[in-house]
Amino acid sequence: MAQMMLLITPELCTGCRLCEGACSFHHYRVIQPSRSRITVVKFEDRGLDVPVTCLQCDDAPCVAACPTSALWKDEESGLVVYEAERCIGCKSCITACPFGGVGWDAETNSILKCDWCGGDPQCARICPTGAIKWVRADQADDTKRRMVALRMQEVAQNLMAPKRAGV
Amino acid sequence: MDSESIGVAGKYGGWAGQILWVDLSRQKVVPKPLDEELALNYLGGTGFAARWLFDLVGPEVDPFSPDNVFILATGVLTGTIFPQASRHIVAAKSPLTDVYGEAHAAGHFGAELKFAGFDAVVVTGRSDKPVYIYIEDGKAEIKDASHLWGRTTYEAEEIIKEEIGDRQVKAALIGQAGENLVRFAGVFNDHGRAAARAGIGAVMGSKRLKAIAARGYRPIKVARPDEFYETMIEYGKRMLAHPFTPDRVKYGTNSLVELMQAIGRLPAYNHREGVFDEWEKISGERVTREYLLKPKADFACYQRCGRFVRVPSGKYAMVGKGPEYEGLDALGANVGNSDLEALIYANHLCNLYGMDVISAGGVIAWAMECWENGLLTKEDTGGLELEWGDPELIVQLIEMIALRKGFGDLLAEGVYRAAKKIGRGTEKYAMHVKKMEIAAQDGRAQKSMGLAHATSNRGADHLYAFPVLDEVGFEKDIVERFGEQYLPEMTDRLNPKYKGIMVAELEDFGAVVEAVGVCKYGTIIPPVFFYPDLAEALTLVTGKKYTEADLRLIGARIVNLQRLFNVREGLTRKDDTLPGRFTKEPMPRGPAKGQVVELDQMLDEYYQYRNWDVKTGIPRKSLLSELGLEKEAEELERRGIRIPP
Repeated sequence: MAQMMLLITPELCTGCRLCEGACSFHHYRVIQPSRSRITVVKFEDRGLDVPVTCLQCDDAPCVAACPTSALWKDEESGLVVYEAERCIGCKSCITACPFGGVGWDAETNSILKCDWCGGDPQCARICPTGAIKWVRADQADDTKRRMVALRMQEVAQNLMAPKRAGV
Repeated sequence: MDSESIGVAGKYGGWAGQILWVDLSRQKVVPKPLDEELALNYLGGTGFAARWLFDLVGPEVDPFSPDNVFILATGVLTGTIFPQASRHIVAAKSPLTDVYGEAHAAGHFGAELKFAGFDAVVVTGRSDKPVYIYIEDGKAEIKDASHLWGRTTYEAEEIIKEEIGDRQVKAALIGQAGENLVRFAGVFNDHGRAAARAGIGAVMGSKRLKAIAARGYRPIKVARPDEFYETMIEYGKRMLAHPFTPDRVKYGTNSLVELMQAIGRLPAYNHREGVFDEWEKISGERVTREYLLKPKADFACYQRCGRFVRVPSGKYAMVGKGPEYEGLDALGANVGNSDLEALIYANHLCNLYGMDVISAGGVIAWAMECWENGLLTKEDTGGLELEWGDPELIVQLIEMIALRKGFGDLLAEGVYRAAKKIGRGTEKYAMHVKKMEIAAQDGRAQKSMGLAHATSNRGADHLYAFPVLDEVGFEKDIVERFGEQYLPEMTDRLNPKYKGIMVAELEDFGAVVEAVGVCKYGTIIPPVFFYPDLAEALTLVTGKKYTEADLRLIGARIVNLQRLFNVREGLTRKDDTLPGRFTKEPMPRGPAKGQVVELDQMLDEYYQYRNWDVKTGIPRKSLLSELGLEKEAEELERRGIRIPP
């Protein structure tokens, strides 16, 4: 089976944080963004909203940093798997991750890391804008190209549209 | 005390279970458990505000005295993933209307307050020096805000995040307008989300309370998780599938400029007219095409009506929240202004200084019409010439109002007080109901809206009832929500018949919407979720069975309690009125040409349908006992107010 990935397109994100609600709900059956494994980083002064989560790296710094092999790469699915039983809570993975994709859950003394909800990521399911999509990794480029192409078409149409009288 | 797992929060889902009581005179914060009866019978938001204001603030309390109570309350669904469940309300006795005052906002603050463990904050007293309240995980402290005083809402929010050392902190704040007791100052959050009406920000200012900031790590629990989650996913799909949603995403509320021009309901020149010849220059289409950077969503919002805009260069260069329909009219058509960049900038200044664009535009429009008629002179204005549509003047006046400089000091009082002070017949041009400036609708072009402006408990306001289904189309939804027996008159926006019924019904429904913490977009327009959906969501979230009948009762209870607050302040039918412009001056031109508002006819129908006395507009005792408001009726009688049987 082809590997899947979460395709994140920040310029489509409008910052509703439904992904945070859905993620926490899937894992803990409550709405609790502080325990979500995906976070929309917001810069309100610049209007930016950027969903940040684990990217399931192939050569993952968190896996390399983990002293107890609580984190390991599943070559078949592509997921970086977290085994809480092996975790000693050293937080090396949080330090090592170049993206801020790993967090700390103070309630359980374990890490917060995306597990793809077992194969049906709820963030992608609930996202109303298409900023988070669950796609085949080898088709992600095509998905992205198509989204960009649609936007380019819209820009072109706006440029060519006759301006309204008096404006 | 920690009521995370006891009391209301231990028994039901949805509510955080704690209320933060703050006495600024004694500099004390006291978390108390949320009362179960209050939670179940009033739900939150506007329901809590109605209860607390009635119980705590009598006619003897001046809005700016320490005894006035400032309330910030979320709803039981706020912070859940119900579509658009981001809302919080602010309330107090209004310094603008002197009666029941309330305003609402979306954003991310309300949800964060619940994650921090509180359903609401109730503030009494007055601090000696500027302070703000910081809330985190069930605890709260009062912190010095001397360094924040004089800062804009945007600046102060950033400074608070910086000094708490946590960028995820959310805050509801006042700007300079609130500090300076501008009577229509609002409470702002998340960079340009505004609970702006009725001057509640000035009440914060009078208490020297700059902000309430919150950060939460706690959960919102849900009684029936599996059903709740799948139901919310389905609700989200229904929201996205509604034909209105793409338009909302693309234009926000701004496409209304075109729509309202088409039905002659776009107030221009201080509500004198209902069409604006230069409407295309301030249209939603133009805002999107030339200035929109992106739509912005509030917590759990599918509609994304927030506008993040940029004016790239020139004297009006800015980046931030852009105008919505009300701003485009209040600072555009209604003051004769078609300079869109100046309009966007003036709107931006209102967000920064923290004041209501509707009232700000309203006082400027009043002044301009008085100037046109020679009732204001350079002596009054300090040398300013108040010509219609002067973009530089409008921007200048916004700043003068917020800082109470020169002529702005008079305008900061609102149209009612300003006209009263000047006299000389300027009262005729003061477009207000219950002393609050009228929003961007005209009852002559849509009769239900005229009635809604007149009856709203917080003064001239479109959102209290929000009767919009008769604007254009929506016949199917009118049949579904009100019944076939009211066709065809109810769908005809120019026909006053059955509009009393529509407005009464929607006031009650609107109260439920504002009590549970969801948005009127998605519940009233587009009409996606109605009583049965809210009852279903409430049942799944709280675990207590709610029916449509329960919610109808709660809605009526809230509206009647707010009404009783106003009756206690001395208001009667004579205050449910409109300026003569709407009832006596026929609409001069446009699609609604020749129309006036048949207010008395609609009011009679409205009072009868509500079971209020037609002569006085006071709720009848029989109704009040059905709603569980006997004690309140007795209190009014003790004060010598006759409650009809």
